[in-house]
Amino acid sequence: MSPKAARAIFYLGTLISLILFLALTVDTHRQVQTLTHADQLSDQVVSGKRVWQKYNCNDCHTILGFGAYYAPDMTKVYWRRGAEGIRAMVKNPELYTTWRKMPNQHVSDKEIDDLIAFFKWTSEIDNNNWPPQDAKLRATERKVVALGVSSGAVLFQEKGCFGCHKLFGTGVTVGPELTHVGGRLDHNTIEKILDNPRSVNPKATMPQIPLSHEQRDQLADFLTGLK
Amino acid sequence: MPIAYPSQRVAYPYFAIALLLFVLQIVFGIWIASNYAFNLPQGLVDVFPFNFARPIHTNLLVLWLLLGFMGSTYYMIPEESGRDLFSTKLAYLQLVILVGTGVAALVGFVLRWTSGRPLLEIPFTLDILVVIGALIFLFNVGLTLIRARKWTVTQGSLLGGLVFLALLYLFDLPFYRNLTIDWYYWWWVIHLWVEGAWELVAAALTAFLLMKITGVPRATVEKWLYVELGLFLFTGIAGTGHHYYWLGAPHYWIWVGGVFSALEPLPIILMLWDAWKHVKERQIPMASPLVFLYAVGMAIYHVIGAGFWGFVHTLPPINYYTHGSQVTVSHGHVAFFGAYVLLNLTFFYYAVPRLKGFTKFNERPGRIGFWWMSLTMMGMGLAFGVAGVLQAYIERVMGFGFMTAQAQMQFWFQILVFFGLSMLAAVAYTVANILTLKPSPVAGGSGNDLKKTS
Ligand code: HEC
Ligand code: HEC
Ligand code: HEM
Ligand code: HEM
Ligand SMILES: [Fe+2]
Repeated sequence: MSPKAARAIFYLGTLISLILFLALTVDTHRQVQTLTHADQLSDQVVSGKRVWQKYNCNDCHTILGFGAYYAPDMTKVYWRRGAEGIRAMVKNPELYTTWRKMPNQHVSDKEIDDLIAFFKWTSEIDNNNWPPQDAKLRATERKVVALGVSSGAVLFQEKGCFGCHKLFGTGVTVGPELTHVGGRLDHNTIEKILDNPRSVNPKATMPQIPLSHEQRDQLADFLTGLK
Repeated sequence: MPIAYPSQRVAYPYFAIALLLFVLQIVFGIWIASNYAFNLPQGLVDVFPFNFARPIHTNLLVLWLLLGFMGSTYYMIPEESGRDLFSTKLAYLQLVILVGTGVAALVGFVLRWTSGRPLLEIPFTLDILVVIGALIFLFNVGLTLIRARKWTVTQGSLLGGLVFLALLYLFDLPFYRNLTIDWYYWWWVIHLWVEGAWELVAAALTAFLLMKITGVPRATVEKWLYVELGLFLFTGIAGTGHHYYWLGAPHYWIWVGGVFSALEPLPIILMLWDAWKHVKERQIPMASPLVFLYAVGMAIYHVIGAGFWGFVHTLPPINYYTHGSQVTVSHGHVAFFGAYVLLNLTFFYYAVPRLKGFTKFNERPGRIGFWWMSLTMMGMGLAFGVAGVLQAYIERVMGFGFMTAQAQMQFWFQILVFFGLSMLAAVAYTVANILTLKPSPVAGGSGNDLKKTS
């Protein structure tokens, strides 16, 4: 190869790649508006991002798959745990962590609200269905719920009950599996548990999840049907 | 032949501090690995939580590698341009600023002062000091070159890489409201550093060393340097897209990132071929077999860690399952070690004896250190790698969730801690050797060889 050809490879190679990269960067900025639902990027979501950075959560957890690999990925944590599951975990991690510990970082209630808004927004980012296990979980949850189709079944998914309970093998086992809960508990008890878990079992660690009276009724209807 | 320009001596304190920080970096690596390997009690892990110990490990790595590059630049520039440095005072001032900032950052992490972005955790205030240190460095090197009025491709590649490196750092400074955009520019620092700017620096330092130790003419070395730089930038810039697959960026990045990054091993392989050829066709006797061992070993390790390991998980269908898992960590360790740790050590073994006024020394400890570290890093890469494959399979393919997978991986982290201790010993041994090199009449010899030949 002649020195001239070598120089040509250098200039041409660099220029082509650079121009392509910058052009796609401009286009990415445009498309990210829709892909991330930037219209819903409220000040509260941004405050949540600041809280995320303030406590350096990202050097234990990944988000969008980036960061440290010590703890679960947070991209779709809102699907797995729901608002109340996240709140419970961040406020009192000592009650819920298993053998690898998440420390209690004394995050204030307002900061937790902001974090939840941030995670909710993040879970809606259209990122080619990553991570695979959450994409799969969501698909099966939808199927499980479709079997029930009652409004209680939909609430069960939306309120993040799957984040601590299993139904027909889908979900997480922080709390008991609820596939046959209708055989154990009656409508009234379930409503009471949902209103205040400690009213039934004083040692309960299930968080109090904000639900209207009507929602509690619908959830209890759905769950008592599972026998 | 010892050094020709007195100002080259500023390189030595850069090297010495870099080496000490290297040892400290390994200590923190072992602590965070122990968090993975054992179920330590809450009271103990909270003393130095994982999320503040990890940035110490990674920031020390980046700091010492950069100090090594800067010292190497100060060593190389006078010889390349035929002129002493513009100012040695500035070089020392810059060292004080950067090391001071580093110490402040480490103390800051202990006190939980952070900007909260992985690998770039140091807070804005300290970022400004880093920028000032970098500006002094570029000013000093730039003015030396301007005054010398002698331009070589090797210098150009070095200076180009350093300016590029400094410019990219600016993308770390803003606060980004949108998480996707935040990570989009985070990679302009991380990826375009290690697969762009740093590769230019590496190619330049390697070319300089090859000319010095093999005597192959400049025209030949620099011709291939041009081709390598071109291929690095052609594949590396658009190759940034291999981090944009699952980011919330447009779908076409899967194609652009996949295709360009799959080509990234090419310049790395070319660099190995090139080094190999020059070593075989050397025009002058082999002054130091150890430096040759390091130079060739570095080129091979670069291909393994960055070229091979990088290629395997850059393909989107594989990356879908391995993204952000211990597979990433395995690649990160082997690539950083093979490309940049060995590069620095190669340069140190070449430059430190000359800075001290001799070229021949007992090379046996150097050889032992090379093989000990290199084999240990293979073991670490394997331990992280097996853990990563288990994670990808159990957590992602089977869908069993994060903690279930981690429980199955713990054994491999215990193996990792074992290799970590071996690495600490190997690094301490090598660092002690470099800092205490003494002249000896025969290069490459052990004590025995000395007796035989004298
Ligand atoms: C020292 C490391 C560490 C830090 C720092 C940390 N976490 Fe965690 N976190 C963990 C671990 C480990 C788990 C998993 C525990 C388990 O399931 O047993 C976890 C679990 C969680 C979960 C439940 C996730 C799930 O899907 O089960 C949430 C939510 C969470 N963390 C939020 C946060 C937030 C918000 C912060 C920052 C304020 C944070 N974490 C900081 C280690 C950490
Ligand atoms: C943060 C975890 C968590 C979340 C979120 C959660 N639960 Fe629970 N739940 C538990 C735990 C743990 C128990 C076991 C009793 C206890 O310790 O509170 C439980 C118990 C129950 C029980 C009693 C089961 C039995 O067999 O005794 C019912 C019913 C129940 N949960 C329903 C729900 C519903 C409906 C939702 C969603 C609105 C929900 N839970 C959300 C953790 C959770
Ligand atoms: C010397 C060069 C290189 C070094 C030092 C290096 C280092 C790293 C590091 C540290 C990470 C992890 C970053 C993080 O998320 O925290 C990473 C990720 C990655 N690297 Fe490299 N790398 C190099 C070259 C390459 C090459 C040549 C390729 C491809 C051919 C490659 C492919 C990748 C990919 C695909 C990821 C993302 C992994 C994921 O999705 O989690 N790397 N690299
Ligand atoms: C030459 C030596 C080393 C180099 C170049 C190095 C480099 C790195 C890099 C680049 C990262 C960030 C990885 C990423 O984000 O993907 C990292 C993290 C890490 N390193 Fe090292 N390291 C070295 C030695 C060690 C040793 C000896 C150990 C301990 C056995 C160790 C344990 C770790 C651990 C546990 C992490 C955290 C990974 C995670 O977040 O899960 N390292 N190191
Ligand atoms: Fe990359």
